Amino acid sequence: MRSVLALTVALGALAVFGPSLAPNDPNAIDIPNRLASPGGTYLLGTDALGRCVLSRLLHGATWSLGLAFIISMIGLAAGTLIGLAAAMGGRLVDWALMRVTDSFLAFPELVAAVVIAGVLGASTWSLIFALSVTGWMRYARVSRGVGLSLRERGHVIQARLAGLSPIAIAQWHYLPALGPSLIVVWTGMLARSILFISGLGFLGFGVQPPTPEWGTMLLDARVHLRSTPLLMIWPGLTILITVLAINLTGDALRDSLAKPERA
Amino acid sequence: MIVLVEVLLRSIVVLTLTALVTFTLLWHAPGDPAMAIALARYDAVVPPDVLEQIRAQTGLDAGYWPAFWHWIKPLLTGDFGNSSVSGRPIWPDLRDAFGLTLPLALAGLAIGLLISVPLAIYASRQPGSWIDRGAVAVASIGAAMPAYWLGLLLILLFSVRLGWLPAMGAQGPTHLILPALTLGLGVAASLTRILRSGLLEAREAPFLPALARRGVPANRIGRDHVAPHAAIPVVTVLGLELAFLLEGAVIVEVIFARPGLGTFLIDAIFARDFPKVQAVVIVTALLFVTVNLLIDLVYRVIDPRTRLSGA
Amino acid sequence: MLKVKDLTVRRGERCVLENISLTLSKGRTVAVIGESGAGKSTLVGAILGLLPVQNGHVSWNGGDLRSVFPSLVMQEPRAAFNPAFSLGRSVMEPVKARGLMLSDGRIDRLCNGLELDPALLKRRPYEVSIGQAQRLGILRALIAAAPLVLFDEHLSALDAVTQKLTAKLIATLQREEGFAALVVTHDLGYAAAHADDIVILKKGRIEETAPAGQFFRAPQTEYGRALCDAAFALGALERVA
Repeated sequence: MRSVLALTVALGALAVFGPSLAPNDPNAIDIPNRLASPGGTYLLGTDALGRCVLSRLLHGATWSLGLAFIISMIGLAAGTLIGLAAAMGGRLVDWALMRVTDSFLAFPELVAAVVIAGVLGASTWSLIFALSVTGWMRYARVSRGVGLSLRERGHVIQARLAGLSPIAIAQWHYLPALGPSLIVVWTGMLARSILFISGLGFLGFGVQPPTPEWGTMLLDARVHLRSTPLLMIWPGLTILITVLAINLTGDALRDSLAKPERA
Repeated sequence: MIVLVEVLLRSIVVLTLTALVTFTLLWHAPGDPAMAIALARYDAVVPPDVLEQIRAQTGLDAGYWPAFWHWIKPLLTGDFGNSSVSGRPIWPDLRDAFGLTLPLALAGLAIGLLISVPLAIYASRQPGSWIDRGAVAVASIGAAMPAYWLGLLLILLFSVRLGWLPAMGAQGPTHLILPALTLGLGVAASLTRILRSGLLEAREAPFLPALARRGVPANRIGRDHVAPHAAIPVVTVLGLELAFLLEGAVIVEVIFARPGLGTFLIDAIFARDFPKVQAVVIVTALLFVTVNLLIDLVYRVIDPRTRLSGA
Repeated sequence: MLKVKDLTVRRGERCVLENISLTLSKGRTVAVIGESGAGKSTLVGAILGLLPVQNGHVSWNGGDLRSVFPSLVMQEPRAAFNPAFSLGRSVMEPVKARGLMLSDGRIDRLCNGLELDPALLKRRPYEVSIGQAQRLGILRALIAAAPLVLFDEHLSALDAVTQKLTAKLIATLQREEGFAALVVTHDLGYAAAHADDIVILKKGRIEETAPAGQFFRAPQTEYGRALCDAAFALGALERVA
């Protein structure tokens, strides 16, 4: 729990305060100093238009992390709702919702996201939509699974007998028990969102220039692979470290939850 | 038998839903589809009567369901229709593109298996040893590594710095090496993790000490009892890996300018060539449904628990 | 009045309950007795509509039983409480859920009768003993004055003295409020002292059903006699003169 909190705070701080730590304007063009090496005014060098790479990375954190957070939360809300409806709604509802979930799962997410984002036209909104539509299924699966096992628990039966409304039962008896599993799924989905946002950005379907975003920065840097390879090292390394940190937190969390609860 | 029917039925439901969702998405895509076709075809704004002609040709004028039927009916007989941009039939181009993606995916899978299987077996023999920790660390980094970045790094090393391998195109077998490596390393990362934990779990199975006490040799326990246990998650994972391979192929093909299925899709989207987009989606869905169906059946053969409950 | 007619529950091929019929009027108590696996708890679940029933019908005064909110004391004392909540919150759930008003001092009176310190209500389920949890379960079942209470081995975790006190409170309350009680128990002594009618369950069927006095004086079936003899031998039951 503590590690998730620390990570969330750290990433949140990076997303919120990152831009104010930037030494330069991320969009200020400085042609004489284009493709500069690290050092001096530009700690990590400059890109093809002479823009400060470090400043762009820090501003990009807001986009990459902020969007990933929004997308993973939309998925969390939608998936939990669908999963709980399946677990609580009886066999027919369960069957129908799970077939829909399977259909969404049966398709490679990135391909679906590329098609959706591409067809809707490249914009931040279609990016959010595309990645949310393809990112709720794991939450639904997990909340349905835990929900089904809760249905036969004593306190849930008692709540039903007591005449508590289904919504209140979901809120008070299912959600608290779902929390831990959902947090584990959430860390995984946060990492996935970061990879997919920059992946779509790299393909040209994501956040549009000149907005600094890690994937788009990679796309820009690709052209200068021969002359200025460092340019593509920075955003890649940033993505790698961020995703690695989130994944490791998720693993630690899973391990600590796998230990038996206190009786 | 009942199981087979249910699985088949489920596949049909998934395919139908995919087709419907795709069509609905394209139907509601921003802009006039007829205008998009006209622009793509003639590269100029065209008079209204030409637009009408295009609408009639493509079934667009009749409304949602007739237009859907206009697409689905030939599809059921294997006809993917014509590109709205070039007017050429889609199938031959799609087949050629698939012919380039398939070797890439297979080579990626082979590289992934070649790395992960020995690594996971070695690592799980001595949990906690330096080789085990190293394997876990490499796998964790691999899982967090964006494929597009890995591809660029490989180009930087092998093409730019060392000059050993070509970075672009698909002319010969050497062109396959770097893309396959990019894909394979990603596969290896996730497979190593899953295989390792599967093997560790199987090694901790409660009946193994009893076998050892009975005097069954260690290598026979490994072969006859541990391996089959670890195989169950692997079969599941292979299904997921297929998704990974296809997603990876899209990105890898773009990085290495390889004219496969991924490039085909991206080009079609940028050209707003919707019939091509639909074709790729349907082929992908068909591929997935078939593989999932096979996995489902294999699963029932190797895992006695599902055999019982599936009856 | 609770009316159960031809209740049948199957699990796969196996018949867990077969053609169970019984009636239970206001203010009366029926004891369901039988060995482990006879289907006693299944019967409770089936009456409450908690599990799929293949055949049969349950009604309360000719209407739907669930609409009058029967309450249940579960066999597993702690499981009845949400581990995320204080016990007080779980105990008050039936009251809150239906927006009822409690008379002054009802909680104190019930706690008193059950020998429960009201401070326990602030604790979590795993912070009290099993015996306390069991009495808290009874408290919860009685608090909203349900017209029908089902007790599933509700005294199993209590010592003899607490058992007596608890039984006394339930009996007093039943006289005052007139709820119907269905009690699943192994304890023939308890049944003899508190039940009006006895239902003997064996392998999912009703073996014998009779008014309590008549049953303990002269069991009609082989199995009923065996049960009584065993209880006499153990001293759980005293021979009715």
